[in-house]
Formats: sequence, structure tokens, C-alpha cells
Amino acid sequence: MSILINSQTRLLVQGITGDAARFHTKLMREYGTNIVAGVRPGAGGTEVDGIKVFNTVQDVMEGKHPNASILFVPAKVMKGAAFEAFEAGIKTIVMVSEHIPLHDTMEIVTKAQLVGARIIGPNTPGLISPAEKCKVGFVPSSYYIPGKVGVASRSGTLTYEIVSRLTEAGIGQSTCVGIGGDPVIGTPFSEIVQLFQNDPATGAILMIGEIGGTMEEEAAELVQKGEITKPVVAYLAGRTAPPDKKMGHAGAIIAGGRGTIESKLDAFERARIPVAKVPGEVVGLVQEVFS
Amino acid sequence: MNLREYQAKKIFADSGIPIPPGNVARTPEEVEQITSQLNTPVVLKPQLGVKKRGKLGVIKFANNPSEAATAAAELFNIIVKEEPIKIILVEAKVEIKQELYLAVTIDYSKRCPVLIISKRGGVDIEELAEKDPHQLLKLSINILEGITEKDIILIKKFAGDEIARFASVLYAIFRKYDAELVEINPVVITTENKIIAVDAVLNINDDSLFRHAEIAKLRKEFQDTDHIAEEARANNWTYIDLPGDIAILSSGAGLTMTILDLINFSGGSPANFIDTAQIDEDGIYQAFNLLVKAKSAKTMLINIFAGLNRCDSLAKGIQRYLKDFPVDIPIVIRMVGNKEKEGHEILRGIGIKPFSKLEEAVEKVVEISK
Repeated sequence: MSILINSQTRLLVQGITGDAARFHTKLMREYGTNIVAGVRPGAGGTEVDGIKVFNTVQDVMEGKHPNASILFVPAKVMKGAAFEAFEAGIKTIVMVSEHIPLHDTMEIVTKAQLVGARIIGPNTPGLISPAEKCKVGFVPSSYYIPGKVGVASRSGTLTYEIVSRLTEAGIGQSTCVGIGGDPVIGTPFSEIVQLFQNDPATGAILMIGEIGGTMEEEAAELVQKGEITKPVVAYLAGRTAPPDKKMGHAGAIIAGGRGTIESKLDAFERARIPVAKVPGEVVGLVQEVFS
Repeated sequence: MNLREYQAKKIFADSGIPIPPGNVARTPEEVEQITSQLNTPVVLKPQLGVKKRGKLGVIKFANNPSEAATAAAELFNIIVKEEPIKIILVEAKVEIKQELYLAVTIDYSKRCPVLIISKRGGVDIEELAEKDPHQLLKLSINILEGITEKDIILIKKFAGDEIARFASVLYAIFRKYDAELVEINPVVITTENKIIAVDAVLNINDDSLFRHAEIAKLRKEFQDTDHIAEEARANNWTYIDLPGDIAILSSGAGLTMTILDLINFSGGSPANFIDTAQIDEDGIYQAFNLLVKAKSAKTMLINIFAGLNRCDSLAKGIQRYLKDFPVDIPIVIRMVGNKEKEGHEILRGIGIKPFSKLEEAVEKVVEISK
């Protein structure tokens, strides 16, 4: 098993005709993801790499039964595309695009809660479940191997940097989830750790967090309360970042005393979550919890 | 994008929130003229990007036009945190009976708008929330529903009808302009029992500016000092200036922050960084150029983790840049990922020893910087 995506995932690609979407559709498929259809208004009836394209999500539903959708649509039209997926009844939606207006994301997240759908992202490289041969997004799959560590991260390249070290050390992953670098995202750490807690394939959880917001603290609180019993280790980026600067991720900003490294380290300490100071320490911490 | 006070006030006033009579001036003469027209004691408020101007001592009071002109002449010579004072808002001074605080912002934890009202205004709201939470009313708003009748009743009970009306208007502004923060601190109840907005904050989400062309234009009214950051933003990259001497070119926010941490832990000090999205040969050429142009550093660290792009084409971009514009500072490059061997070969060909381990590259660049 794994979380969120697996060999049973029937993926729809919204915005499939764009360059990036075509390229990554091909890579996802080569990895093993079952892509059942694509959507692009006005391009219905055409094909991309042998994948049928439809005008609307509703048109896809009957014959193809997708149970997840990845949205490769421009930020400006993301809200419309997400709402279309909600209305068609799709319950797992991955929004890879960045620069989505914050109010749109809030509307999408609120609507998702209303209809019981799950949003991953926005501003995420996506997710990958190596043992299930399923990836949804653009994570470079060569750095991932099947195994028992569930990884959740706010940042793409940092995840590759750290996961490649795990893989080199022979430590595989159950599912790696890029939760997104924006200040408002669909599924924060606190929800991901609960999913990993309930996933039989996951033996330990690695959280790759950073300064800004309070997501890390909220997840740590669950660990402290005993709701997460699997071992959790963490890495935090931005220990030396100056306050009041958006450090690349809009979500990574220390402002008004919120989102400081001290607050996060305190929360992890209270929850007895070991935190790596540098990426080089992560492998050792993970090996320790498995020994 | 943070609007200046006078720009925010114009939007507030147009939406039905009373503000003190006044106008903006760019010279002491204009300040004198406006004061004389207002025919009342005035307050001079420099229009700056920094917060907490009161604490910085740049808000001045004047009883008559000549006093105002003298105070303005001094203000126009001041540079506050690298920003010269160029515009002063001249407003009629108000007689304060009570100050309140009113804001609509985003609750990032609950992921919804939140309305905040405090019966004590003019103070630091974070401080107040900690010390005196009973003076605060915080209402989470469902963004699909907006402010409800129930919310309005609660606000009326807490702070009165007019404040409830202000709250509705503020929420409408928050939504209409895709704001991250709309704030009045303080809302003043005058000795004549008028309720007016004495300050105004309107911070608009940068990612929404494409649908607010009129707001994007307002940015030009005040000087944006950081042209490099502007140029980086145009490519959807991030440029941040820092006080040290090691320039950094990297990709991805989390990894870039990690590199800053590693440099600082090793006793080095970053000069600035560019965090690019996934780039190709031309992209790295441009990013390199921007970083060299930004400021002179002692040395530079380039980190490439080619997940889906290719080391060899990025190495070619670097090679081409160095051929076009020889750089006289030592450059340290860490390069891993697709076509790593080929990339390393190209770098060796131009006399750069590539690193595969991030930590080793950081150690090297810090050593050079010392």
C-alpha cells in the first residue's frame, strides 16, 4: 500500500495539451501511472500520445472513471478547472502550478472540504509511490526506490536532495508527497502524517519543513498527543534566514513573530521528534528509528 | 504589493470609509499650501514602505502653514531604512476620544479569511493579542459565503453599528482587491463622535496582480528600489539581497535556504541569491548575468540538481556566459543529476573543478571567501 496514489489510481490530466503536461504525461506513464484520459476545452476528440482528450471533465467520467486528476493548467484558470473536477466527483486533485491567486486557493480548499475532496498543492512537484509504480506530478523518479519511509515536504529540489541520499543508503520510500510551497495549501503536514499513520506500508515518517507558517508545529502537536505512534524525524530549512523576507516560497516568511525556526524546534522537541540540522544528518536519524 | 497609505486611503474613501481631509505633497511649498487650505492643525505622514513610522519618529505635527513647511523641509531630507522621503500625506489632525483596530487578513492555519476587531487601537496588534485577548474579536469567514448576518450581529454587539459597517466594507475591499491584509489602525472615534480611518493598510497578493491592472500601475508612483528583484520576478525567479560576500545561484526555495544555512554554519556569509525555477541553457546564462550584475561578491556558488533538466546543457550555458563575460571572481559549482558526467567534463574543460557533494562545495566557497 501507500497513501493517496497507488496502482489503482486512474489518473486524468487536465490541461493535457500544454508542453509541460505532454512531457510529464509521457514520463508518468513510462513510470507506470495509469493515465485514463486528458481534458482540454476545445480539443475534445483529439489524442495526446494515444491518450484520448475530452472537452470537459464530465465527458470523461462515464467511460473512463478517473479517481484522481492532475491539473496542469495555468494559474489564472486553476480555480475553474478545480471546481470542474469537484463537480464531476473527483476526490483526489493535484495542483502543480505555482502563482495561483491566494483567494482562489482559499476558495478551492474551502470547496474541497465541502465536497469531501482532497487537494495536494498548489506549487508542488506532486507525489510518488515507488512500490505501486505510480507518480502524479513531475518528481524525477530515478531518485526514489520502494521502501517504508513516508516523506512529506514543502519543497521540490530539497526533497530530491534528501531522498537521493536515503536511496543511496538503501532506504526506500512508501510515498513521497510534495505538499506545496504556498502559504495556503490543500493538505498540510498534520493531515499527511495521519495518512501515513494509517498506512501499513509506512514504517517511519520524514517531514521536510521550513520556516514560515505553523504547519510543522501542528503536526508536531499530533505526535506529542500520541495520535501518531510511528517514529517521525524531521529536517528544517531556513534556520539562518533573515526575518521579513520571502525566501523564494511565498510560504517561507517569518513575519509578525510567526513561523520562526525557534517555534518549530520547540514544538519538535516537545514531541520528541529528532531534527536534522543539515541534510547530511537525515540518513543517520532515519537509520536510528529503524534500528 | 503593499500600497502606500494615501493610495489605500483613496480606495477606502471611495468605498465609503471616512478618512481625515488632506492631500499628498512632494515639496515643502505644497505642504504649506495644503495646510493653509485645510486651515487647521495638521499631521505630516511620510509615505514609506516601512512599517511603524510612529516609532521611527518621522510623523510630525504642525499648528500652522509655516510650521508645516519647516517640518516638511526637514522630513524631505531624511532617508528611512534606505528609502528617501519623497511624498508626504498632509492631513487634518483629529481629536481622539477612542482608538480601535480593524483588519481582515488570512488565517493561514485555518486557511480562510479572518476579521479582527480590537477595542484598543493604535497599538501593536500582535502584542495586544498576546497580552489582552479579551479586547479582541476574531471571526473566521467562510470565503464561499462571505460575512454572514450572524457575524454582523456579533460585531454590532462588540463594537457598535458603524464599526460593523466598516467591517463589511473592509471585507468587500479584501475580496475585491485580492488582499492579504486590509487594516485600519487606528479607527478613531473623535471627540465629536465621528468614526474615521486614521491609517490604512492594503497589501495585495502579488500573484493576483494580473487581474488588477489599475493597482499594478500604482506601484510606479513610488520608487521600487530593487531592479534586480524586479527583473528576477519577471522570470518567476526570486532574488534576495543579503549582507555577506558569497553570491548564490540555486534552484528551489527549500534547497536554497538549506544552502544559506550550510554557508552560515561554516562561518561564511551569503551576499545574495537567485532562486530559479527549473532552467535550461539560456536560463542559466540569464540568471548568471543577473547575479553578476546585482552586486560584486567575493565568490560565487552555483548549485545544480538536475532532476528533469540536464547537467550538460546547463554547463554549456555557464561556459557560454563565461566566454561572453569573463568573471574575475572564483566560481564554485556543484552539479549532480541527469548527464552529470558530461556536465562535469564541460566544466573541467573551462578550468572549473566541479563538485558532486553539496557540503564539499559549500566548504570550498566559504574557504575562498575568507
